[in-house]
Parts: sequence; structure tokens; C-alpha cells
Amino acid sequence: MFRRSGHKEPFEHAGAVIASDPEMALLMAKECFFRRREGDHLWVVARSDIHSLSDETLLEIAADKSYRFASDYRDVIEKRERALARAREIKGE
Amino acid sequence: MSDSLVSVLTALADDELILGHRHSEWTGFAPHIEEDVAFSSIAQDEIGHAAAYYSIIASVTGGNVDRLAFGREPSEYRNAILCERDNDDWAYSLARHWLYDHADAIRLEGLEGTAHDQLRALVNKMRREERYHLIHADAWMKRVAHGPIEGRTKLIDAITNAYDDATALFEPFELEEDAIKQGWVVVPSDELRRRFVDRIAGILDELGIPMHFHKRADTSAEFVASSSGDLIASDGQNGQVEPAHDGFGGRRGRRSPEFGALWDDMTSMYRAHPGASW
Repeated sequence: MFRRSGHKEPFEHAGAVIASDPEMALLMAKECFFRRREGDHLWVVARSDIHSLSDETLLEIAADKSYRFASDYRDVIEKRERALARAREIKGE
Repeated sequence: MSDSLVSVLTALADDELILGHRHSEWTGFAPHIEEDVAFSSIAQDEIGHAAAYYSIIASVTGGNVDRLAFGREPSEYRNAILCERDNDDWAYSLARHWLYDHADAIRLEGLEGTAHDQLRALVNKMRREERYHLIHADAWMKRVAHGPIEGRTKLIDAITNAYDDATALFEPFELEEDAIKQGWVVVPSDELRRRFVDRIAGILDELGIPMHFHKRADTSAEFVASSSGDLIASDGQNGQVEPAHDGFGGRRGRRSPEFGALWDDMTSMYRAHPGASW
């Protein structure tokens, strides 16, 4: 069962029900997970329609890929200032 | 002039309270956990509707809602006998839930034009909740009707057992003539019963469920062939005949033997602590 908590929010997995078919699952999910205004929309998806990765280790990052992270570029302005200063020094300005 | 209003409201409230109580007996025992929550929620809705009806009565008569719900003698209740029948098995509870909620939809539709402002506002509010009850009941009926033979057979038996009682939901209210004259009630119960019988026969025909009403149907009813060739009950020539069977009389305070245990259970807390505020 995927629930949306507000108009602009993403659907998020929020529980599961056992039901004979999608219509029944929607009816049951409504009662089981929307009793206290928890959201404004609802999806149900059969477990068998969800495809999952067979090998989770594929998600591990083996080598250093720090360049893929924004945080790795935090000091780029400072680096640029240092490089410009060095360039001026070499040119004897 | 308010006597007939109180009479109508008492019948409506008692239907919801007593059926809500019967539904609530499934809490913890429904066929699966999801249905347990769903059916308990429907039970809560019905009891909530009863409370809303009782509070209109209380505002008219100056009475107390708790006393109206739990402080009366069994003979003072005016619910239809259908509502107080034992649950028996899930098939019966489902058949009753389905019959009742279709009857209630017809009844509330009829009450939309009531001259009583508070009641009209309440009817509009309740119809929103009752929409889910109907979807829930219809979804179950469809699946069991089209499912394996054992469940289908149990369902057919259950409908047969509950059907006559269900028509008695439209047994006229006490003082109904005056209620119509005052505008509290717009559509007479006899007319609503005709609509109900038509609607149920139509749905059962669509579901391909044969009707075995002859078991307990009154002698004045006749049977007509539906499009599927099954026999369905017709409510007499003009639909005015009030079938006389043991499901009738609830509106006049007649109670079935099943009511006693329900009343004992339902009112035990109230009786144990007289005057307590909850």
C-alpha cells in the first residue's frame, strides 16, 4: 500500500494488506491505514508486480567515487582562488 | 407535534445502535485482520449515527443521549428485528450488512427532503459514510456469489434467512401518518419497501443468485421469473401488502428472543454505574 500524505508529496510505501484482488485491497487499505486522515491518496500494488534486485551488493560502491558527490566540491571556490593567486605569482604580477 | 418525530428518530437510531452492536461482536473474530478493522469501523460508524439521531431526540425532548441508548427497557426499543438477530456465521452477517445498507441508502434518500433542518443536515452527512458501507458490502457479495460453491451456498441460505426480516425495516413507523403530515417523513414506508424489494431483486439477478424466499415468505407474495430464469419474490400485486412473518413488529416494540442477551450485554456497563458520565 502506497500512501500520499499531501497533494505535492510523493507516494510512499506505508503498509500491506492481504486481499483477494485490487478492489478489495483498496477497500481494506482505506480502513486500515486512512482512519485518521493520514493522507489524501492511495495506491495498492500486488506484491508479485514488484520486481526487486536479486543481488543487493550491486548497490555497493567499490572504488572512490567521491567526485560524484556534491560535498566533494565544497572547497572549489577556495581552490580556484589559490590557483589564480599562483598564476599571478608565476606571471610576476 | 414532536411525538411523531421522536417516534421516527427512535426507530432509526435503534436500528443503527443495535446493528452496530451486532457488527461489533465480530471485532477480533472477523475472517481476517483487514476485515476485522474494516467491519469494526463500520460498526463504529453505525453507533455514531445512532448517537447523532439520539442527540436530535434529546434536543427535542430534553432527554439524555446515554439514557436513550442504554437506559431503556427492552420493550421500549423500536429497531427492526433484523438488526437484533444473532450473527450466526459470517455469511449471515454479510447478507444482513448488505441488505441493511441498501435499505438504509433508500431510506436516507427518502429523508433528504425532510422538513426537519437538523435531521436533513445529518442525513446528508451520513450518506457520505454509508457510501463506503455499500461499496464494502457489494464488493464482498460479488466475490462470495462468484466464488466457490460452499461460500455461495452459505450466502444464499443467509440471504434467504435475512430477507423477510429486511423487508420489515420498512414496517411503518408508529405515528407515521402524522410524521408525513408534519413533513418529517416524505416517502411512506410502504413505498420505500417497494423500492427496496425491486432493488434487491435486481442486484441478486445480476449476481445470478437464485432466491428461495418461499421458505418463509408470506402467502400473499407471488413469485416471478427473473431474466436468469430464477424465481424472485414480488411484493404482492400493488406492493401494499405488509407481509406477516416473525421479522415484523419491531417498530411496535415486539422483540425476538435474541434481543435479551444483546440488551444485557450492551447495557451492562450503563446499569452497573447509574448516573456516571462517560
